[in-house]
Amino acid sequence: MIAKRCCQGLLLLILPFFLWGCAAGVASVVPAATIAAKTGYKAIQASRPISDSEEYYVGRAVAARILTKYPLYQNPKVTEYVNEVGQTVARKSPRPNVFRGYHFAVLDTEEVNAFACPGGIILITRGMLKSCANEDQLAAVLAHEVSHIAHKDGINSISKARWTEVLTTLGTEAAKQYAGAAGSLITLFEGSIDDVFKTIVVNGYSRGAELEADKEAVVILGKAGYNPGAMVALLEKMGSKGDPEGGIMKTHPPCSERLTQVKAQAKEAATGKMAQVREKRFKELKI
Amino acid sequence: MVGLAVLLVGAGPGWAETLKVAQPNQQLYPNPDFASTPIGPVPVDAAVNVIQQQGDWFKVDYQGKEGWLPKTAFPQAESSKFSLPGILFGGPVKETKSDEVALAGKGFTPEVEAGYRQKHPEMKFAQVDQIEGYRVDSAKLQAFIKEGGLNP
Repeated sequence: MIAKRCCQGLLLLILPFFLWGCAAGVASVVPAATIAAKTGYKAIQASRPISDSEEYYVGRAVAARILTKYPLYQNPKVTEYVNEVGQTVARKSPRPNVFRGYHFAVLDTEEVNAFACPGGIILITRGMLKSCANEDQLAAVLAHEVSHIAHKDGINSISKARWTEVLTTLGTEAAKQYAGAAGSLITLFEGSIDDVFKTIVVNGYSRGAELEADKEAVVILGKAGYNPGAMVALLEKMGSKGDPEGGIMKTHPPCSERLTQVKAQAKEAATGKMAQVREKRFKELKI
Repeated sequence: MVGLAVLLVGAGPGWAETLKVAQPNQQLYPNPDFASTPIGPVPVDAAVNVIQQQGDWFKVDYQGKEGWLPKTAFPQAESSKFSLPGILFGGPVKETKSDEVALAGKGFTPEVEAGYRQKHPEMKFAQVDQIEGYRVDSAKLQAFIKEGGLNP
C-alpha cells in the first residue's frame, strides 16, 4: 500500500519532466539543461574526461593544421598499402576501436617523421617510408604511432587547466543554449589544438611516453604476426644516420636509449617465405 | 489521465526501445568508451533493449547483460532521429538529422569545429575529410593479411 502510494507520488513528481521531454520532440530547442542541473548532471560533467568524440574532433583539427605544414602525398597505391599495414597493426592494439576508426595517410616531404593525431588519424612522411627497409619496419613505425593513440598521449597533452575551463564553460548558464558558450568553446578548442600540435610536432611526447609506445609497438608486432625485431632494425638504422636538425630525432629520445629497451624485449622472429612475400610487396611500391 | 501518465512514463527512464544491431563486429562494452575491455560480441540482427543514451552510445540490455554499444551499430537510429528525451542527458534538445543530438552537451562538437574552421580557413579540413574517406575493404584486408602470413 505504501509502495503503491509512493509510486503514485513519484509519478506525479516526474510527470512534468516527461511532459517537457516529450515537448522536445516538436520544439526546435528546449533548455533541458535547466532540469539537468537539478538532476546532478553538471556534477557528473564537471569531472568527466575528454570523450572519444571530443578526442576525434581535436584530432581532425590537429591533422588539418599539420597538413598546412606538409602537403598530402597523392598516391592512391601507396596510401592504400599504408592503410592495409596500419589496419593490420591497429586491430592488435589495446585500443582497436576508436570513434570513427583509424586512418593512415602519407605526407609529401623528405623529412623523416610520423604523427599520431588524437582519435585515429596517423600521418607518416614519405621520408620515413623511404627509411623503412621492408613492410615489417613500416609496421613498426605505424604500431608505435597507434600505441600513442591507444595510450591517449596526444589528447592528454591538453593542459588540465584548459580542460577544466571547458567544463566550467559547459556548466555556465550560457551553455544552456549552445550559442551562449560558442565563442568561449571555440577559443578553448583552439588552445587545445595548440597544446596537442606543440607536443606532437614541436616538442615531442615525454621520454616515458615514447618508451612505452616502443614497448607496446613490439607487442603489437608480435600479435599481428610481424617480426618484432623489425623495431630493433629500424632504430639501429635511424640511429646510424646521426642526428638531423628536424624530424623524428628532434621530437624523440635518442635511438640508443630506445634500442636498449627494445632489444631486451623484442625477439627476432624467423624470417621465412611469408616475410619474403611482405618484402616483395613493399619493394614494389613506388614511393 | 492515468492512461496519459502511463504513456508518458513509457518515454522515461524505465522505458526500453528495442533496436536491432545492423553493423557487424559489434562488442558490448562495460562503459561508453572503446578503450574499455569488451564484455562480449553482439551479432548482427541481435535485438537489444535500449536503456539509456549518452552521447554516441546506447546503454542496452542484451540477453540479460547490460552494457554499451556505439550508436553506429544502429544506422537506422542515426537516420530516423531516434533519441531518448534530452531531459535524460542534460544537453539542449534539438530535432536534427545529424549527430548533433548525440553530441549535444559535450564540449568539442561539430559546431565547435565549424566555428574553428570559420576562424581558420587556412586549415586543411578538406584533406582530413579525404583521409577519412580512405576505407580498406574488409575482404581485401583479409587477403592482404593472409598473403603476408600475418594474424587475422
